[in-house]
Amino acid sequence: MAAEFAGYLRPDGSAGVRNTVLVLSILGLTGASARRIARQVPGTTLISMPYGRGQFGEDRAMTRRMLAGFACNPNAAAVLLVGADRLRLDAVAEQVAATGKPVETVALDDCHEDNLALSEQGVRAAARLVRDASRLRRQPLPASLLRLGIECGHTDATSGIAANPLVGRVADRLVDAGGAVVFGETMEWLGAEHALAGRAATPEIGAQIVAAVLTREGWAAASGEDLTGNNPGQENIRGGLSSIEEKSLGAVAKGGSRPVQGVVPHAAPLPGPGLWVMEGPAFSPPSVSGFVAAGAQLVLFTTGAGNSYADALAPTIKVTANPNTARRLGLQIDFDASALLEGTREPEEAADALFAQLLDHASGTRSWGEVLDEGEYAFARLGADF
Amino acid sequence: MRRWSLLILAEGDDVATALADLAAGEAPARLGDRIETLTLPAPVPLGHKVARRAIARGEVIRKYGAPIGEATDDIAPGAHVHVHNLRSLRARK
Repeated sequence: MAAEFAGYLRPDGSAGVRNTVLVLSILGLTGASARRIARQVPGTTLISMPYGRGQFGEDRAMTRRMLAGFACNPNAAAVLLVGADRLRLDAVAEQVAATGKPVETVALDDCHEDNLALSEQGVRAAARLVRDASRLRRQPLPASLLRLGIECGHTDATSGIAANPLVGRVADRLVDAGGAVVFGETMEWLGAEHALAGRAATPEIGAQIVAAVLTREGWAAASGEDLTGNNPGQENIRGGLSSIEEKSLGAVAKGGSRPVQGVVPHAAPLPGPGLWVMEGPAFSPPSVSGFVAAGAQLVLFTTGAGNSYADALAPTIKVTANPNTARRLGLQIDFDASALLEGTREPEEAADALFAQLLDHASGTRSWGEVLDEGEYAFARLGADF
Repeated sequence: MRRWSLLILAEGDDVATALADLAAGEAPARLGDRIETLTLPAPVPLGHKVARRAIARGEVIRKYGAPIGEATDDIAPGAHVHVHNLRSLRARK
């Protein structure tokens, strides 16, 4: 039987695993008004962009991909855009409207710079959108509609040997079911880039993987950092890691074993099904935000010592194979994989169980991060401002 | 009840990784759906590696099905493999 979940079918054929109304401030100036709107209307999720002027080049392009990507993510049933000038608001609104889902805009300029008038208009608009969104119902949908982001944070010796290979098996299951998987953290490919490139669907994609690592290594070298000099660090070495290759192979194990279909720029939409790698920062908040802007509705997140980071729009499912972490952090860890480390559970059986749990979260079961309202987001930056 | 105490991550790997702090002696290592027995000459901590076979100095050492470095010394079967006898091929100091 084909794998299924119960989700919200959107007008463009994508699937939401949640049904929130996104209140998106597209400019740092309107963040406070957007926050007031989101607080006053339950059923909304706030994302507030702290920048928006004085950016240029690829940095500006990346920021715009983030805004459009969050707005188009199918976990949002509808979007309220909050901004200052009509021109920028309409540009983003047009991208959302292309998905067929409802979008409204409120502009500070239209309110003659009256921030309270802006939030009052916004509250009314958000209320209407929430009411309409509540009419939508879940229905059985194929797992092929799922796009999964994969991240690791605060890893330890158990991550590379147990939690990451487990999540890799789940990634393989979703790719085989016709879904899409993305992982990023370019610097964590350092030392494993040739192994990863060897799995690329074409030699050109393999060359892009190697080039992406060299580019970031070059940035580091230009600022006086040698990324391989003290890597693995002393803590890694005590944990048993002997080389940068070994450390990175353990990190990329979380992406599974299927061919890499392409290198996606940070926050750019995933072009289709299969496994993708995203060129982007290694720190979890901006890395995960890049996946969610690319369309990921769910995130699988492995940790060794524990890591509470969760995404605002996409349920973030925490997996650890460290028995102490699983025991200590019962309201953070969603899937306890420590039996793999204890040599008592079959790896394939554990992967079946985690895949089933992933579909269950897709169908509405909350992750601990959602229960505790830990959802966050981060906008990555490249370069200086005007 | 623990059924294996080391893990071999891919076919053709030269090392097995300890899933717990292990004493010297025989230890079962899991690879795919089978188990092989390794004999450890000395204790090995959690997360550390031992050789599955005799490895000669200069040979490439594989884990996860890919090279993780080269041997800087001859390594006996079951012996600890770490920074004292493995050198990265990527980081050349």
